[in-house]
Amino acid sequence: MEDAQVVGMLVRRCVAGDAVAWEEIVQRYNRRIYNICYRFAGSADDAQDLTQEVFIKMYRTLNSYDVERSAFMTWVTTITRNLLVDHFRKSKQDRVTDSIDAAPSEHEDATPLSDKIQDRTPTPDASAQSRETRETVHRALQKLSPDLREAVILRDLQDMDYREIATVLRVPEGTVKSRINRGRAELARLLQRTYRQVM
Amino acid sequence: MAGESKNGMQCLEFEALLNEALDESLKGQKLENFQTHAWTCAVCGPLLAEADAGRRWLKSLAEVEPPINLMDNILVATSGLHTSRRHATTGAPLSDSWFERAREWASGLVNPVFAVARQPRFAMSFGMAFFSLSIGLSMTGVKASDLRHADLRPSAIKRAYYESTGRVVKYYENIRFVYQIESRMREFKRATTPAEPAPEQNQQQNEQQNRERKNNNTSGQPEQPRQERNYSQGESQPVLAAAPDIPPVAMVTTYRRFV
Repeated sequence: MEDAQVVGMLVRRCVAGDAVAWEEIVQRYNRRIYNICYRFAGSADDAQDLTQEVFIKMYRTLNSYDVERSAFMTWVTTITRNLLVDHFRKSKQDRVTDSIDAAPSEHEDATPLSDKIQDRTPTPDASAQSRETRETVHRALQKLSPDLREAVILRDLQDMDYREIATVLRVPEGTVKSRINRGRAELARLLQRTYRQVM
Repeated sequence: MAGESKNGMQCLEFEALLNEALDESLKGQKLENFQTHAWTCAVCGPLLAEADAGRRWLKSLAEVEPPINLMDNILVATSGLHTSRRHATTGAPLSDSWFERAREWASGLVNPVFAVARQPRFAMSFGMAFFSLSIGLSMTGVKASDLRHADLRPSAIKRAYYESTGRVVKYYENIRFVYQIESRMREFKRATTPAEPAPEQNQQQNEQQNRERKNNNTSGQPEQPRQERNYSQGESQPVLAAAPDIPPVAMVTTYRRFV
């Protein structure tokens, strides 16, 4: 049985009141939704709260999901994206793509990101270095504007195809591709500048 | 950049094909033109390099592990149930005994109710209700220590009901008995009281008594009006009080017993 059929059956069982089917859905999608929320919001606490909100909304509106209309994953991602946008508006994090040397926000330390990285000497432990690199990339991702950030997250971290991303973001496919290119390039520029200073 | 055409490809076209090139889905003549344009164009070449680097940075980000309690929290927040998978992941086999199954079935019914009741507003309401009840009981003199466990048994409740009913019946029986006694006493009193003389006979008797009094008066002074008159009465009203031959009135006081 194909994955779409399995999910469709789970949804039908869940709408009929089967608690085990709902548990199965949560088991299948909680990791993926948490990762989208974490990469977009930037903090683990926010990601946990947002993931819960996504599932609560999903639970309430599950009977409105049309199997024929779109894939379940697209529907779930659309809910997630809408909540993330709401969260972003509420928290007023109106971040635009800014330089890694830009003045830090109130939540960050006094030194800019490049200085922080510069202060850190490369650790001998390769895994620790890798972890630091990932943290740096994660922080740089938060510096992207929300439009670019959500596009690259869905494409490069969630491996969604352009059409699905266009459905989720409600923009044409060409716009999606353009945002992905700009997002990737902007991220690379931020990180290259950082590592050029480190070297 | 937009209008520039190098090696048979415009920069706009290059940008449109950038995604396909990075996804490695570009082939044939298009790929050759794309690569040639990238090498020769001062704008598009670095753009390709940056986009490729950015993609690789993003791909280096590993998937993060969600918190352990996330799934439980979601299930409690939505369906009000805890996950059963936790037992499986910890290695403890799920019990198939009838007791376990009954417990799971019961928890499926009860947990959603408790999940609602655990909400702060309901807890606050229950707290206020308990507080009001305890104040009401203490004001009416009911002590919680007076209540015994035995009082709540069905047989004890039944006995308490019959006792209360008996008490009410006795109370009304006693009241009826008292009313009967009172009415009998009233009849007896009426029967033993002599009939009052006629007004003419009274007048004659009064005149005779006055004459006798005048004869007995040796002081020679004029007669003073009698002091034992009722001062609230007028002159024309007859004095009806203090008849010496009236029998003593028996006073009956009834004490109602509340058994």
